[in-house]
Amino acid sequence: MDRFITLFASGLSLGAVYALVSLGFVLVFKSTRVLNLAMGEFLMIGTYIGYFLITYLGFHFIPAILIVAAIMGMLGLFVHYGVMRNLVGRPFFAIVLVTIGIAIIIRGVILVVAGPIERPRMKGLSAMPVDVLGAKVEVYNFIILGSALALVLGFYLFFRLSRLGLHMRAVAENLQASSAMGISPDRIYALAWFISLAMAGAGGVFFGHYTASIDLNLAAIGIRAAPAAIVGGLDSIEGAIVGGLVVGTLEQLGAGYFGADYRDVIPFLILTIMLYVKPAGLFGSPELVRI
Amino acid sequence: MASEKFITEYRQDMRIIRTRPQRVWAIIIAVGLIGLPFLLTNGWSPPANLPWGAWMTVINLSLTAIIGAAAFNLLVGNTGQVSLAHAGLLIFGTIVSGWFGPVLGWNFWLVLPISLLLGALAGLVIALPALRLKGLYLLLATLGIYYFGYFVYKAFLIANVGFQPIIFQIPRVPGWFPWLNDGDTGLAVSNNFRWYWVIMPITALSLLFMSNIIRTSEGRAFAAVKARDTASSLVGVSPVKSKLLVFMVTSAFVSMSGALQSYFLSARGEDSYPFQITLDYAIMIVLGGFSSILGAVFGALFFYGGPVWIDWIRQETPVLRDITFLTSYRSEINLAVFGLLIVVVLVRSPEGLSGAWKRLKAYFAKWPYSL
Repeated sequence: MDRFITLFASGLSLGAVYALVSLGFVLVFKSTRVLNLAMGEFLMIGTYIGYFLITYLGFHFIPAILIVAAIMGMLGLFVHYGVMRNLVGRPFFAIVLVTIGIAIIIRGVILVVAGPIERPRMKGLSAMPVDVLGAKVEVYNFIILGSALALVLGFYLFFRLSRLGLHMRAVAENLQASSAMGISPDRIYALAWFISLAMAGAGGVFFGHYTASIDLNLAAIGIRAAPAAIVGGLDSIEGAIVGGLVVGTLEQLGAGYFGADYRDVIPFLILTIMLYVKPAGLFGSPELVRI
Repeated sequence: MASEKFITEYRQDMRIIRTRPQRVWAIIIAVGLIGLPFLLTNGWSPPANLPWGAWMTVINLSLTAIIGAAAFNLLVGNTGQVSLAHAGLLIFGTIVSGWFGPVLGWNFWLVLPISLLLGALAGLVIALPALRLKGLYLLLATLGIYYFGYFVYKAFLIANVGFQPIIFQIPRVPGWFPWLNDGDTGLAVSNNFRWYWVIMPITALSLLFMSNIIRTSEGRAFAAVKARDTASSLVGVSPVKSKLLVFMVTSAFVSMSGALQSYFLSARGEDSYPFQITLDYAIMIVLGGFSSILGAVFGALFFYGGPVWIDWIRQETPVLRDITFLTSYRSEINLAVFGLLIVVVLVRSPEGLSGAWKRLKAYFAKWPYSL
């Protein structure tokens, strides 16, 4: 039972990171129909910048997250205006391949700048164990879960209540009608990229506290978050959160009980089952097929 | 008298080699393919220190990869089934050849067809998601196949060779011909030169097979499925059959290419198949160009030859040679250059290298009236 609680708690915090990453996925997909397979690499940039800020420069956790999110958001604007804007209307596989190209560039640049060596995890958060129902759980798990959920909730309120959020929903629902009403889709796309990469950056800083070591294998989390997005539904914000938590928890429990080799397999097993049973996901809208 | 060559029959239109220039090119390529290894291994010293010695390995590696890339192109480019399963299938080919070859001790010449047949069976299983999903969802569903394959691969390695790499024995040509003899009966395929004569015919036959498929009614059915699979079923094409068939054929070839590559590289360990492999083949077909066999050839040659070429430029250019930064991070910089190339190619000229080649040919064909 103790083991279960420990695994469950760390699974929830892993799931919170997944939720952030798959929220980034979903947000960009919902508004621009681009499946961003470079999400893990973007998260990795966030981790490395966060590592530099926290471990080398001694920043506190919260300002570090804000700085990383701001830098990554700017990078998102650059990705949109520099690359993605030229690709509107191309077949989707070409666009997916462009994100793969971006992922490869990021890997190369990080290898040159930071080198292939493994680094220890960040220590911006307290690792003091707390007693939960008799099991010891490190306190950073709760901080990660809490702050990730706060970020997600903040975004959700923005998306539902603010005027810009309304514009985003309008563009996602009907591109022509919304641009006829005076909303600039280009700026909404840029905003989606900004928020998506800022989320990835924040997720990267969280994950840097959670992971065993910081190296290029971090980027695999972007691929493993794809199942989270599918489980929730590729075009559903609520689904991304639920999917992230479900996949993260199941993965952590599975890896804990069966062995670390199962870690990569479990999310994709969930993905495969989900695609067979309900391809649209738990909260997603089913795709209409044109003959 | 006809001012140009006109095509008057469907049979003429469907030939692989249709015009006189194409025939000339085919002969040049055939002579080049036969002459190339002799030129490269006989110590011929070309100008400007081009590293000829390194090319033989590069050529053999790209010849094995061309099979996989052409199959991938047939699947994604010609049939529109966006799948990222080929890395998993390369692993599958390695597992099959590792089991029948090193573990059971069967002959290489037997293992290769087995990997082809079992690859076709694996293709049937992989095709199952394609019957239900398409586009983006298919891509995501096949993304997991790499992880399943790698999981099995690791278990296979641990069960059979422990934590070492699995060693593939050097294949031997049977001693049927008296001139192919190295003392023992037969000839060990032990160096790059001998490997070339094993790999090149296999690659050539595979490419011929795949370009023939495109010309048959099945190939036209593939194109119909790519255009719109629901509509194609209304005109009598069976999308289910076409999808199963294309996955079977391409998986068989990718699996065989994995087996061939394992034997050529002779040791395959736990870290031989990183996730990067999935991306490598995407690089090849993007840079080479979608939906053409020629694109796969260009892409694979460029993927393996590019780094050697970039290295050569760096060593021979006076200013670049002195920058130690470039030398100490060469593989990382090559990686970044490839990523940059993908983005630039996809944004600027989506047809890739084979498209550029076609434009070049059109330029000379229409000269002096070309742009």
